[in-house]
Amino acid sequence: MKILHGTWIPAAADFIQTGAFYLWVETTEATRKRSKTDSVHPHQLAGTSLAEFLATELGIKSGATTTRQPPQLEILPQYFLLPTIAEQPLPSLELARYLETELPETFDWQYWQVDCYKTTALVKNGYQYASVNNVIKVLNELHFLALHQLADVQLGADLLFWYHYTQAFKQVILRDRYIPALKYRSLPTQKTSHTASAAKSAAKSTAKSAAKSTAKSTATRTKKSAATSTSTASTSTQTPDFELYAAWEIVSEQYEAEIEQYAEVMPLVCAAGFTAPLKTPTLHDKATLLRHFSECLLTELVTHSPSTAVFDKKVADSLLELCLSPQHITTPNRSAEALEWYQQWKTWRDRIHRSQTEMPFHLCFQLKSPDQPEEPWTLEFQVAAKHDPSQRIALLDYWQMRSPEQKQFHKEFGKDFEQVLLMNLGYAARIYSALWAGLDTDQPIAIALTADDAAIFLKETAWVLEEAGYKVIVPAWWTPKGWQRAKIRLKASGRKMGGNDKSKSYFSFDTLVDYQYELSIGGEGVSEKEWQQLVNAKSSLVQFRGQWMELDPDKMQQMLEFWKKHKQEHPEMGLLDFIKLTATGEDGFEFEVDHDQTLTEMLSRLNDKSALEVLPEPQPFNGTLREYQKRGVSWLHYLESLGLNGCLADDMGMGKSAQVIARLVQERQAGETLPTLLIAPTSVVGNWQKEIEKFAPQLRSHIHHGSDRVQDGAAFSAIVQNCDVLITSFSLVRRDEKLLGDMHWHRIVIDEAQNIKNPKAAQTKAILKLSAAHRLALTGTPVENRLLDLWSIFNFLNPGYLGKEAYFRKSFEIPIQKNNQVTRSAVLKKLVEPFILRRVKTDPTIIQDLPDKVEQKLFCNLTKEQASLYEATVKDVEKKLNEAEGIQRKGLILATLLKLKQICNHPRQFLQDNSEFTPERSHKLERLTEMVTEAMEAGESMLVFTQFTDIGEALEKYLRHLHYKTYYLHGGTNRVKREQMIADFQDPETEPSVFILSLKAGGVGITLTKANHVFHFDRWWNPAVENQATDRAFRIGQKKNVFVHKFVAIGTLEERIDQMIEDKKKLAGAIVGSDESWLTELDNESFKQLIALNKKAVME
Amino acid sequence: MPTFSRTWWGQKFIDALESFTDSGRLSRGRSYARGNKVKSFEIKDGIVKAEVRGTVNPYYGVYKEPLYKTVVEIQPISAAKWAAAIALIASKASYISKLLLNEMPDTIEDAFHTLGLNLLPRKRSEFKTSCSCPDYGDPCKHVAGVCYLLAAEFDRDPFLVFELRGLSKTALQAELAKSPLGIALSAELSTQATSPAPVESYYTQPQAIALPSQLSLKDFWQSPKRFSTLPEPSTQVAVPAILIKKQGDAPAFWHKDSSFIATIEELYERVKTKNRDVMD
Repeated sequence: MKILHGTWIPAAADFIQTGAFYLWVETTEATRKRSKTDSVHPHQLAGTSLAEFLATELGIKSGATTTRQPPQLEILPQYFLLPTIAEQPLPSLELARYLETELPETFDWQYWQVDCYKTTALVKNGYQYASVNNVIKVLNELHFLALHQLADVQLGADLLFWYHYTQAFKQVILRDRYIPALKYRSLPTQKTSHTASAAKSAAKSTAKSAAKSTAKSTATRTKKSAATSTSTASTSTQTPDFELYAAWEIVSEQYEAEIEQYAEVMPLVCAAGFTAPLKTPTLHDKATLLRHFSECLLTELVTHSPSTAVFDKKVADSLLELCLSPQHITTPNRSAEALEWYQQWKTWRDRIHRSQTEMPFHLCFQLKSPDQPEEPWTLEFQVAAKHDPSQRIALLDYWQMRSPEQKQFHKEFGKDFEQVLLMNLGYAARIYSALWAGLDTDQPIAIALTADDAAIFLKETAWVLEEAGYKVIVPAWWTPKGWQRAKIRLKASGRKMGGNDKSKSYFSFDTLVDYQYELSIGGEGVSEKEWQQLVNAKSSLVQFRGQWMELDPDKMQQMLEFWKKHKQEHPEMGLLDFIKLTATGEDGFEFEVDHDQTLTEMLSRLNDKSALEVLPEPQPFNGTLREYQKRGVSWLHYLESLGLNGCLADDMGMGKSAQVIARLVQERQAGETLPTLLIAPTSVVGNWQKEIEKFAPQLRSHIHHGSDRVQDGAAFSAIVQNCDVLITSFSLVRRDEKLLGDMHWHRIVIDEAQNIKNPKAAQTKAILKLSAAHRLALTGTPVENRLLDLWSIFNFLNPGYLGKEAYFRKSFEIPIQKNNQVTRSAVLKKLVEPFILRRVKTDPTIIQDLPDKVEQKLFCNLTKEQASLYEATVKDVEKKLNEAEGIQRKGLILATLLKLKQICNHPRQFLQDNSEFTPERSHKLERLTEMVTEAMEAGESMLVFTQFTDIGEALEKYLRHLHYKTYYLHGGTNRVKREQMIADFQDPETEPSVFILSLKAGGVGITLTKANHVFHFDRWWNPAVENQATDRAFRIGQKKNVFVHKFVAIGTLEERIDQMIEDKKKLAGAIVGSDESWLTELDNESFKQLIALNKKAVME
Repeated sequence: MPTFSRTWWGQKFIDALESFTDSGRLSRGRSYARGNKVKSFEIKDGIVKAEVRGTVNPYYGVYKEPLYKTVVEIQPISAAKWAAAIALIASKASYISKLLLNEMPDTIEDAFHTLGLNLLPRKRSEFKTSCSCPDYGDPCKHVAGVCYLLAAEFDRDPFLVFELRGLSKTALQAELAKSPLGIALSAELSTQATSPAPVESYYTQPQAIALPSQLSLKDFWQSPKRFSTLPEPSTQVAVPAILIKKQGDAPAFWHKDSSFIATIEELYERVKTKNRDVMD
């Protein structure tokens, strides 16, 4: 594993102090042997291996190439102040996750030499190449790589910070938040003739270079200085005591706020880079480091922006030319004309500052509509205090104040209120020149606007003024909520085709919609004549039936034509198409929909699932459905009755499977039904069957899996005809494509629907080919955030509904995820909302509905490898058992229990051979991994309990390597470390994490309420011990519902232990002791029964 | 080639000059103004005094570069009338706003017309000029040259026109102080001359801080707070160069004929779009 680090390192202090961004790579392997005296970091990629790694693994290029050979990346040694112990730098916390070392509490500090890559790219400008800092691009790409785990690297917190900051900083450039500048440097007055003459010649040459291009107007510029000092040639006789440098300056309140904000979140390691080691341990100050970085980067980018001869000519002989030239900005100018420029610039710059960042109040413009359409509109001038913008005062009221009132007012708005106000009205008038008309008085209060001007103001000027820092208040009806629009109305009515026609019973559920087009404004029908009048008015702001609204006459004309063309039609369409049409519109028109009663009900139930009529619990059902689960079942029922397919996306732990099973029971109450095909990941196939047995033992389920599965068509058909649910895994759908495809299914359910996200995968294609009356997708991950997953699921549920993948990418994914288009995401939401039911645990109504603690079993099958180990162990013990006696027998029994439990966990634990700890070898581990991923994505923390320290250790390492934050508490953890881990885990600032605890060490006394999931990886005989452990999370202070997941290996002693715990009430409490010793009292036969393997429960 | 004035008021002044001066002298005057022939230039008490280098011309017996003294005066407006004019100006926020922005309000002459005056000279009789050169014609090319430079000077400081019309800066401020709006302008005028703001370093200097004691590994390697959200996707502005636009199209340091705003808008656009290689 490699951790990428990097930071901004300022060059040696100088008047123009530059800097560079350096990347370095920390590795798990020591890359070199270190002699005791040097201070070269031992765990780094150095020299050419760093360059090679960055170029080949991470694809970092140095930009445009001057020669055919790509240039070598520039590698330079830099120095980092790092925590150090025993003359070794400590690993970063990111790397420490991959090492087995214990991190010390106390340590020293030392500067370590690290080979770094300076982020630069060669950029072509005209015929020249220049090297420019490309840190923004590099970090963006590295972040993407690491995020999508495209390379075996991880970003350190330092690079992650810089990624965030550079993205924020881009706003300065994209929003033009910087201005050309001049920097004035005072020089000490020089007396000795030698230095004076040196300075003189320097001044001459620089003055020449600056003045060369501007020679023609030199006389103009010298005038003023000549007017103040009688000497006209001051530069040749006197050494000036200043130097001027062309520069760039960032002017933005937002930027200032961000510096503060980002300085707060910057990790200190970002401030620990230096070009040379220092004598005493020193860091950079965060805020000034950020400013230095931002200013250097801005200047570098601006001065190296590729230009053209035409543009060069446009800026020739101006301040901009100086500011744009990388040579000029480093060359001081001491001429009198430069000083004059400086003074002119300074006045200008101070005004910008005053108008931008130093305004003591907000200047506001409120647009007011007239009561009568023929009266003019008013744009009223107002001011609002900065600390309380809601308190607005109209200038009209201000001017009418008496003197003492005004004095009071000035206390809040500033002594020079009128001066600042007039200036800013003037500035605003520069942007919106209609304002000048309001300033033809000594007491400006407002301007009048025509309806057309008001329309332009609303559509354009308001935005411009807002952007310029003024506040604009528009009439309420203009806000999206009050927006009244001209629309084409679909007068639609629902018609349901009955399911009477038995021959077509699967496909005749399609609900049809009849519709007719109408013209409407603001939700009211409008006659053609009225409409035509509005079109003819040619004004976009009109008063219609007493209300102001904005209408687009051109668009209305188009709508009118559309309507004329279609008004005679009485078409019909499927409900699905209808939902799509109303969400996306047609021909670029938005439709307003007027439904009849049936359709209104239909759609409201789909869109507002709480309006759904909750059906009674199906019978017979072995359990109690919670209120939200009943609603879920009703929703499934309703959707399917309309011939639609949906996705049940409730949070993990909320019982999606119980709802599906209830639905199966429900439909069988109504009559005979074909079987449902349930496709799930291998790790949960067994669990499904267990759940069905638990909730609805009357349902006949069959697992189609394993090498001994029925593959003969006729035999398979017979099985299918005799079962209600056929459970299989994703991989088998592909292998038995034909077998499954030949059957008619009532329904296909895919569990963990994100498994079909790759549309090109053979398994996805095979699933899409299966035919069924209904389809249902289950997932616990928030699909709405992953648009392509969402598309894949819909491609399964309602093929074609969201278009082809390429179309979906173009019209939804890119606009929403890259360009942040709110309107597109609103359309998508409208499209998918009726088909997704997602309840989250944090929903207050759900919290009410859920008990504080929800327990569920996770039944997992053994893998083949586990099964054969298990079987061999059982065989071996059966033989020995007959011969052993007394204490020996007891020992044998206890050892056997231990071995079998180890096998159920993972073959490696049993074999003790340090073989691979992979999920392929244990469905338990596979399921845990899936669930950890799901919980982490939802931002939830969890506890994992095990009675074995070796499995605890292996789990911790395994999950850590999957980039999750982990903690591991066991008997050997010392008190200080323990407290620290607990505090760290509980800290709300810590990312969601997995806390692994040994049952013994973590079972009592500690509070870990940040977790809301508790896993028991293996089982203990005594439920009290398990409950005590569970209560680490379920304690005072826990505000969330706690979900307890207990793993049970199917067909093994674990299942029997579980059964015993369940039957505990039936047994005498004394039998189930707090440990396993009582099992030794079992006779041989009973013991054999306890440990026997049910071979049916094995899964590859 | 830059013209001498980009403002309407500077141009008005030039128009007046050109209306009564013959084209040959005007043309020579322009090259004098551009060719660095005006050696010194001073405006004091409303009078412009300049020294202009003449031409060596052996044919006329001029062997050494002569230096002519040129004086330009504009007919002053009486103090009483000024008081009335300023009162009128200070009654309109638009005038004051524009003047605050260092611009001559484009309708300012309306205020003067109501008093039977005009601010910018229009006729020969309003100019009083003299030159020590041998040219019999008045205005001579030296006067013309000085006037062209004067127009450029007006661009930068519209209040100079007031001064040449006999209203000194102090008198102007005294008159302005009589009305509330005028006070605003007067306050701005007195703050106008800003002193340089010397800087210690070109870029903000990163400060060094001593290593804090009792630092834990977590304090050093990790952010003190979690980043709650990813940065917003970067969006471009609807209106470019807002910062610059508020200050008008003719900042004093911009001496070109072309539009400053248009130029810097293009510059911003170039920075945004031509740096994709290092930014996106």
